[in-house]
Amino acid sequence: MSIKETEELILNMGPQHPSMHGLFRMVVHLEGETITKIEPKLGYLHRGMEKLAESRTYAQFIPYTDRLDYLASPHNNWAYVQTVEKLMGVEIPERAEYLRVIFGELARIASHQVMIASTALDMAGWSAWSYAFRDRERICDMYEMTAGSRLTVNIMRIGGMSAEPPEEFWPALKSFLDDTPEMLEEYYGIFFGNEIALGRLKNVGILSKEMAENLSITGPVLRASGVDYDVRKAEPYSIYDRFDFKVPVRTGCDSYDRTIIRMDEIVESIKIIKQAVRDIPEGPVMAKVPKVIKPPAGEVYHRVENPKGELGFYIVSDGTTKPSRVRIRPATFINLQMLPIVALGWKIQDVVAIFATLDAVLGEVDK
Amino acid sequence: MENNELLKRQVEELASRVNGEVEESFGVLVLTVKAPYITETLTAAKQFAEVPCDFLHDLCGLDRVEHFEVVYQLSSLRGPQKLRVKALLNRENPVVDSVTRIWQGANYLEREAYDMFGIIFKGHPNLKRIYMWDDFEGYPLRKDYVTEPIEVRNIVRQRIEGE
Repeated sequence: MSIKETEELILNMGPQHPSMHGLFRMVVHLEGETITKIEPKLGYLHRGMEKLAESRTYAQFIPYTDRLDYLASPHNNWAYVQTVEKLMGVEIPERAEYLRVIFGELARIASHQVMIASTALDMAGWSAWSYAFRDRERICDMYEMTAGSRLTVNIMRIGGMSAEPPEEFWPALKSFLDDTPEMLEEYYGIFFGNEIALGRLKNVGILSKEMAENLSITGPVLRASGVDYDVRKAEPYSIYDRFDFKVPVRTGCDSYDRTIIRMDEIVESIKIIKQAVRDIPEGPVMAKVPKVIKPPAGEVYHRVENPKGELGFYIVSDGTTKPSRVRIRPATFINLQMLPIVALGWKIQDVVAIFATLDAVLGEVDK
Repeated sequence: MENNELLKRQVEELASRVNGEVEESFGVLVLTVKAPYITETLTAAKQFAEVPCDFLHDLCGLDRVEHFEVVYQLSSLRGPQKLRVKALLNRENPVVDSVTRIWQGANYLEREAYDMFGIIFKGHPNLKRIYMWDDFEGYPLRKDYVTEPIEVRNIVRQRIEGE
């Protein structure tokens, strides 16, 4: 009997698959268990945000931005309202700026907690998942106190914040900040100290520095490849130039560094929130903005550092109450381009690890 | 400030070479060129002396009713320089050279612009629709796209065999 030739196996992963973080689908070509080609298929959650924006007024579009990266919705609000404010030349009150920083950094912590939890889950670590989600609940509670909802908070307005946080917000925030060192200790112990997790993540999926720059990668994925770049430092928006914090950079370029860099970022976010709580002034949270928002004709591109990378809005106004074009530059959509390149030659289980460390949220990828 | 002057001088020099126009909008230099010059423009912008605009942030299509534009947002990871380059495209025949050879990261962005505006990127390795399904007709973000009524939208699409 002759030996049969090996045949290429085509495997479809997703869109309904627990490790696909939403509705992501990829067609994987396998030679044995080794990957020879990956074709990501996007669009299962495409809602046509950019088209919807053209038929809504500027203020009406704010709730839609919540649905982009739904794990860090205050950030999406922030990017959008700041772009409109830049276009109109609106100055917002000091207190609102500080509140935006507090909620933005809380969202960053919550988003990174979900990332750590879901990466642990993809590595079959159920218990680590429950620890991070337990702590994230407290941030959701703080959202709920202020804005009334827990996930898509819609907390910012053109010209300030939707509401002043209630009295019970401040003690809740303080106790959360006091407990964070203990929380991080637990994550380190249960996930990053786990040999199975380390084996699945260390030296898996190397993304070199040159490759990352050429692929327009941003955010923690770029910084884990040894590039010191953060929009908060490079082009400080809002009041980030007033705070003392570091940008964590790691040079391992592998899945492990892409995961643990989020832990470093949580530490820095806590530092920023503590400084903001210390310095926050009294005053109104909303500027005087005309009832009908009608920016002058013009165009502006503005970007913020979303937990996943750089989120940019490019708005073209024609001088009417509705935007002529709203372009969303989603961070993870562009970061996702590394997956078919980096995963080549790895085994099928490594693709799950590489995809998890990208921290893709399909609401943002598919818009 | 010095940085800005240096960038401005080089952008103006480049503009005279590629028949472009330079203007300033919200503190960002905008260089508008005709589509055939785009590869030359972006290659030169990537290699500006001392202020290279070597990081592609975003690439998107834009419908200006009389013509299309492709907008490139450039900057650098090592400096404050920022530049916006616009390519003007003919509406009847929207073709422009792909920049995937300069930045691999333009791959999905160009596919998206093709999907939404029908702009053809010459030399793109895999120019297919990215968000909409393959046999979708029309280009949704064009200003003349008619949003179909709900009755038409509710018809379940037939699956093609082998899909």
